[in-house]
Amino acid sequence: MGNQIAEADKKSHLQHHFVDSDQQFESSKLGMWIFLVTEVLMFGGLFVAYIIYRSWHPDLFYLAAKELDTALGATNTVVLIASSLTIALAIRAVQLDKIRSAINYMAATVALAGTFMVIKYFEYTDKFAKGIFPGAGYTYDGIDHDMAANFFSIYYMMTGLHGIHVVIGMGLITWMIIKAKKGFVHSGYYTPVENTGLFWHLVDIIWIFLFPLLYLID
Amino acid sequence: MSSHHISSHFTLFGVAGALLVLTFLTVAVTWINIPEPYNVIVAIAIAIVKAALVAMFFMNLYWDSKFNSIVFLLAILFFVIFVSITLLDTLFRDAGLPIY
Repeated sequence: MGNQIAEADKKSHLQHHFVDSDQQFESSKLGMWIFLVTEVLMFGGLFVAYIIYRSWHPDLFYLAAKELDTALGATNTVVLIASSLTIALAIRAVQLDKIRSAINYMAATVALAGTFMVIKYFEYTDKFAKGIFPGAGYTYDGIDHDMAANFFSIYYMMTGLHGIHVVIGMGLITWMIIKAKKGFVHSGYYTPVENTGLFWHLVDIIWIFLFPLLYLID
Repeated sequence: MSSHHISSHFTLFGVAGALLVLTFLTVAVTWINIPEPYNVIVAIAIAIVKAALVAMFFMNLYWDSKFNSIVFLLAILFFVIFVSITLLDTLFRDAGLPIY
């Protein structure tokens, strides 16, 4: 009798319309991948704007990219790679029922994401101080090109939408830390942590493309 | 839940190490001046390798049901179609659009 209750408790995550935990896990993960497809295509629109604009004004991109700090961009790339590693280690820890260390790895991921946003804040405020705003607010005259404002509109839209995703990711990972602390996730059920990890890795992948495309135009 | 893949520390740290090396490489190639358009091609090629490493080993596509990989690759295919068809228009306009 006691055994049955323990067994039922362990399977409490299993919803009635799934055959078993594995099917539920696979379905949920496929759903997450389909959501990631919509994310790729949303950022895709911005990448298309970038490609068309660069094909029209290659000289503008050479001049304007000099305003971006390669060292800060590279630091942020390293920070995001480290955060991808820590979230992957967190998932490994949950799979092995090491909930304490999973919580620590997720906290490290949130801290690294925060570091990324702080560096981004310094980059943005440095540009705002020079009068580099998106669109009509652009007042900087250090770039000798008529279309200089448009490069920065593309820059702010791409890095801004990415930054919003970093903040959302921090929120999701914090939520997962709370779930883990309450004992809702374990080796038998870690779907939310897995899907949050997938989201976080996609944010990393998008930055992997943004960094060379915006900062490394020599 | 024995069917789920659990990545070893060796794999996870190895992939992160490879990503750091490739990040250094993508910065280092800008120090030698590669002529247009090869500098863009090199930068994008390195980014694709990095993205593939993240997708295969951090996002577990390598060990997953192959259907997830197909879904992700279809997204990239549709992005390529999006870029190609738009460029077929914008690259072949007579005088461009001066206001943009």
